[in-house]
Amino acid sequence: MATVHDEIDNWLAADLYGELSDEEQRQLHTHLVECVACRKTHQETKTMNKILEETLAQQKPDPAFEQRMLAGFRNRVPKRTGLLKLLAGLMRTRAAQVTAIAAVLLGLVQLGRMITGETATPPAARDRYANEQLFEQPSQVAATSEPGRAGALAKSDELAATRPQAMPLQAPPPASSVEAKDKTESFAQTEQTIVTGSNIPMAQEAGPKPGETPASEVANRKLVRNATVELEIVTFDDAVQKITAIANDERGYVATTSSQKQANGKLRGEVVVKVLPENLDRFLQKIRTLGELKNQTLETEDVTKAYFDTDARLKNARVMEQRLIDMLQTKAGKVSDLLQVEKELGRVREDIEKMQGELKYWDSQVQFATVTISLAEKDMEEPAAFLIKERSQLALYAPDVEKIYNDIKALASQKVQITNAQLNRDYSGRVSATMSMLIAPEESDAVIARVKSFGRVENFQTQTERIAQGGSGMSENAKTKRDKVELNITISREEQEQAFQQTSLRIRTSSVDEKAKDLRAVAEKQGGRVRNSTFSRDPDGRELANVWLRVPMKNYPALMQSLDSLGKVENVTVQRQDRTGTQTDEANAPADISIQVYSQGNIVSHQSGPLATLRRTLAQSAGAIMWSLRMIGVGIAFLAPWVVAIGTIFLIAKRVIRARR
Amino acid sequence: MDASEREQYRAAIHGDREAFEMIIRTHSRTLFAIAYGILQNREEAEDVVQDSLVKAWKMRWRVRDPEKFPAWLSMIARHRAHDAFRKRRSLPFTHATTETSKANAPDTVAMDEELHSALATLPELHRAALTLRYFEEMDYRTIENTLGLTNGALRGILGRALASLRKQLRPALASTD
Repeated sequence: MATVHDEIDNWLAADLYGELSDEEQRQLHTHLVECVACRKTHQETKTMNKILEETLAQQKPDPAFEQRMLAGFRNRVPKRTGLLKLLAGLMRTRAAQVTAIAAVLLGLVQLGRMITGETATPPAARDRYANEQLFEQPSQVAATSEPGRAGALAKSDELAATRPQAMPLQAPPPASSVEAKDKTESFAQTEQTIVTGSNIPMAQEAGPKPGETPASEVANRKLVRNATVELEIVTFDDAVQKITAIANDERGYVATTSSQKQANGKLRGEVVVKVLPENLDRFLQKIRTLGELKNQTLETEDVTKAYFDTDARLKNARVMEQRLIDMLQTKAGKVSDLLQVEKELGRVREDIEKMQGELKYWDSQVQFATVTISLAEKDMEEPAAFLIKERSQLALYAPDVEKIYNDIKALASQKVQITNAQLNRDYSGRVSATMSMLIAPEESDAVIARVKSFGRVENFQTQTERIAQGGSGMSENAKTKRDKVELNITISREEQEQAFQQTSLRIRTSSVDEKAKDLRAVAEKQGGRVRNSTFSRDPDGRELANVWLRVPMKNYPALMQSLDSLGKVENVTVQRQDRTGTQTDEANAPADISIQVYSQGNIVSHQSGPLATLRRTLAQSAGAIMWSLRMIGVGIAFLAPWVVAIGTIFLIAKRVIRARR
Repeated sequence: MDASEREQYRAAIHGDREAFEMIIRTHSRTLFAIAYGILQNREEAEDVVQDSLVKAWKMRWRVRDPEKFPAWLSMIARHRAHDAFRKRRSLPFTHATTETSKANAPDTVAMDEELHSALATLPELHRAALTLRYFEEMDYRTIENTLGLTNGALRGILGRALASLRKQLRPALASTD
């Protein structure tokens, strides 16, 4: 720990300024008594303090100092007046701040809504919608199970509160209002109707039993009963005989029979039987035993109402007729009136006949039930025969498309039909042809072989299809027949064929032009054709000739050998496209050779030497300067809008801050 | 700091002009002491106080804690005084003081000049602490708060400042004795 002597300066200063505690003061004084040096320092410090007090006292601010400061402050920061002050004052209160923030948020939300186009649905409207949904489909509500309805109600709890009629129907209606009760009843009725309605088809399926119903009811009701039965049987004739026998047993009769023979020799037919309605069910049961039942329907149509309506109208019409007859017999009135009566009488009689006819028809329908039996022998679907269809695609390359096109056309005969032939020439003069022909099966192989020999075969595809006739599936004894062979031919020019082998090489020589000519001659000798050639000479006297050749593969080695005689052969690259798995006529397949014949040219280039170098250097530096100028321009153009924008924002911000103050 | 004082600072921060003017009344002497301590020139120090007050009013929203408002004010004054001091570095700094003390006896004038030149060698902070002590007679704690010093640092600062002055003024002191 530092002693008093070590830190005498701090102790003396603190003593001077009255910052020592009593204990510390005692320590200091003890030390001063002991230490001469510190005593001296103490003395000096006291003197200096005095000087400091005296000197600095003169520099103290005068009494008017605060007033001056205030005046200066007021002068430099003028008081805000008017609206701005009011606003600033207002914004100082917490409530105003909260309100302002809320207003801004609200504004943003509203803005967002406007942008997204979302509109808040008022809850009242939504509830109404729910109500409508429920009321539009009351039957659905009635039909849904209990939990389902509870869910629907939960969705619109308000609805449930305001409209008690939507409460569960099984429960007794809540004793709220008369109106509610009425509504509930109407719902109950709806439900009942549904139940009855749904019972009808069930009854039909089971088959009504007229014999079991009370006779009086049956007599009063006019029921038309119809049944259709679909059966699969072994032999048609046998089945028809049996049906006739059964119909006789049941006191019915066979109304119509029709049959139809299929391509595979099987019979399909229909028998319509009339039986007494009360025997219908027994009849149907017997019929079922004849074969395999595929389908059965039973319909009952209640025509009671229509029948008695017509009957009543008929009676009215009869009365009317009688009155008209009476009018004619009295012969009172004018002739024109009588004619009118006559006309009316005719109309009424027509009606009467029509109604009588209707009643009779119904009577006959009601008297006998109609059973339509569809019969089909087994294995209806067995095919009668098979047809083998062959379809071939052939793509040919030929040097002269038109010639081959005509050759193929010439093949046409009774056994070979050309169904389609098309010769195309496109804008660049390329010729191609497509042809389709139908060839008799026995001739097909020979004709196809002949067509193939006309050119180089690029592609040959054959597709064979076995088509079952008069049914589907397998059949052991069906005949098989070959149909005409369909042949589609595409002919394109040889040039379009991709080369089997591609070679590129360079020949260095002194006289390019001459050697290029020799090259052509050599190529022609080997059966090659020049497809393309170029010749160029550059300012340094270098000459360059490019020749593209195509030769058949068989002549390729000979040609390559003869090239050696033209000059030094360099850089030979050979690319071969082996088409695995295809049978190609390799000897005749085309091989492409690209030959570059070139000379060395002058030794000293026009483009070298000090002058040329200087020129190039100058041009490059000028280019560099222009480029950097352009870049500077781009930079300025890029920065300028930003500088303007940032400057504007800065200015505005400064204004705002100044306004705030 | 009592509650009414704090409330005054809070109001001033929130833009209450009356409160701020009250603070000017109570604090401008302290600020002057700091500025004078650094600059050793009354006119300049007054200007600095004036500037600091205006600046403080404009920037008052920067102060979060009202308790720190006086320390913040002092800091502004210190910084501005420091800036002013740097600007006029080349100028002789004793001319003003010599003018003001012309009336005194010749030996006192000599003493003053020596004292001022001795003061000029002290660090700014030490000078500011000294003036606060001699102008406002503040106790150590208040000076520490005003200058933003940590507890106990001032004891060493003032001790060293006095020692340094004493060493430089020793010949003069000897003559006065």
